[in-house]
Amino acid sequence: MKRHKWGQRLWDEVAQAWTVTIKDIKVYYLKPGMIMFGFLMPFFMFFSFSVKREMAVTQGVARLLALTVFFTAAAAGPFIIPIERRLGTYDRLLAAPMSLLTLLLGKAAVGALFAVAVSVVTLLIGGVAFGATIAQPGLLVAGVLLGSFAFSTLGVIFGSIPTRNPGDVQMPSTLLRWGLLFISGVFIPLNEMGTAARALAYISPLTYAQDLMNHAVLGAGALSPALDLIVLLASSVIFLIPSLLMHRRSRQLGY
Amino acid sequence: MTEAIEVENLTKYYGDLLAVDHISFEVHQGEIFGFLGPNGAGKTTTQRMLTTLLEPTEGRILIDGYDLARDAYPVKRQMGLVPEESNVYTELTAWQNMMFTGRLYRVSRAERETRARELLETFGLWEKRDVKVEDFSKGMRRRLSIAMAIIHKPALLFLDEPATGLDAQSTRAIRDLVRRLNAEGTTIFLTTHQIEEANQLCDRVAIINHGQIAAIDRPERLKAAFRQVQSVEVALEPDGQAHGQALGALRGVTTAVKMGDKWRLYTEDPTALLPQIIDYARAHQLQVVSLTTLGPSLEDVFLQITGQKIGTVQHPTGEKKRGRRGGRGRTGGRR
Repeated sequence: MKRHKWGQRLWDEVAQAWTVTIKDIKVYYLKPGMIMFGFLMPFFMFFSFSVKREMAVTQGVARLLALTVFFTAAAAGPFIIPIERRLGTYDRLLAAPMSLLTLLLGKAAVGALFAVAVSVVTLLIGGVAFGATIAQPGLLVAGVLLGSFAFSTLGVIFGSIPTRNPGDVQMPSTLLRWGLLFISGVFIPLNEMGTAARALAYISPLTYAQDLMNHAVLGAGALSPALDLIVLLASSVIFLIPSLLMHRRSRQLGY
Repeated sequence: MTEAIEVENLTKYYGDLLAVDHISFEVHQGEIFGFLGPNGAGKTTTQRMLTTLLEPTEGRILIDGYDLARDAYPVKRQMGLVPEESNVYTELTAWQNMMFTGRLYRVSRAERETRARELLETFGLWEKRDVKVEDFSKGMRRRLSIAMAIIHKPALLFLDEPATGLDAQSTRAIRDLVRRLNAEGTTIFLTTHQIEEANQLCDRVAIINHGQIAAIDRPERLKAAFRQVQSVEVALEPDGQAHGQALGALRGVTTAVKMGDKWRLYTEDPTALLPQIIDYARAHQLQVVSLTTLGPSLEDVFLQITGQKIGTVQHPTGEKKRGRRGGRGRTGGRR
């Protein structure tokens, strides 16, 4: 059956985004250094903040999952676009017959898939080695998928800064990520925070990702899981807007 | 018939810097159009605007009748781009690069595999199809870059300095390919600073300088408009190289430029210069190995139009005189 013109266009755009995703996986993610980073970083984080603290295994797994998603989803995203701009390969993507949104979704999907893959390993270790159980598997799947995509689109914002130098995005990206980490309810539960700290925590999407993981693994959280899902979904969309605007600016400046 | 490219009043500012200054031109369907200019003249900026990579400050671009600012999608489907730097993925093999580009342009699997094989064979890369591009030479990467740009059989191909940095064999292969693509109906927009490349390949040439189109015509017509830069090329033996200064001093010679083992003497009147050269050779018991009158080359036209003078010719006394820029080993001159 012949597809409608717009149906065909939509199908093409989805296929092109997937093409970009697969290419980025092959070129940037299937590298030993990247894989090692993806696996080890969340564990180091977990042990750094858990040693000598009394914490149930399930609570540790929930925290580890949130950290895994947060750190691996945006691990390489901020740097890939400046590198491609420098090498000229980004021009190939910009000149291709697809929308800018398609390109950015393809880029964001790579980081999200990477985070999902590492989360699966994290879960396996949590389940097999520590005997952790999952209270709400559906919420876990939704949380990992949405959280991964939201944090990956956050990384793409930094990649969209008009520059050909990956070093230019290192500082702002690191500052923001660590800033979000400390204001979110990852290390101090929301209900133990003061009013001001809690208000600040509500700004961070990581707070909602952590709360969703608490619901999924522990079976209880401080916020409504529906609210957590909505905020993560909205973050995924909202984070694309500055990326689109910065790409337009780059097109004016010649990057 | 719709023009392949129509550019009206195209302008680009980078901050306060005017890089392209209200240029207008057309590229006809099926022609090889050369966009020639010195470094920094605005060639690549113009090409990036034509390929949607850069937003113009002012002006309008129509490609195959489509306004690029409003309807870029159908244009992009029909466009191929080979930038100055070979933008191939070095972590992938040649075959993976071809497949990636084919998928990006929504070429069906069967067609992209057939086409990729054809192109890799044409470019002499088939045997290396499973080798990662990081192990390719510069010439091989260039050829792959062109192959990737045409896997979807574009109707309009943009080539930016295609032969820069390549050896003679690769350069010739790429020029042959450009001719073949054009013969098959592809319109080619060739950005280059290599005058001989434009002369050999292009149906028409635009010369851009300081962001403005200085001239636009067929290469031979441009040359015909600059008859004042005719020359006589002479090779003398023995020790012909030592006579540059004296040859440069002959009546009517404006400049003498050493060209390998020959001297090129620029003059407005080659007919009057020929007997003088013969007389000089007789008087100094020299053998005239070759004596050729030359019309203006595209390089001469280019230098005249862009205001780049004939370089600096050193007299033995150290006095400086305007001379042809780009000549090799210039030592002689008119007194």
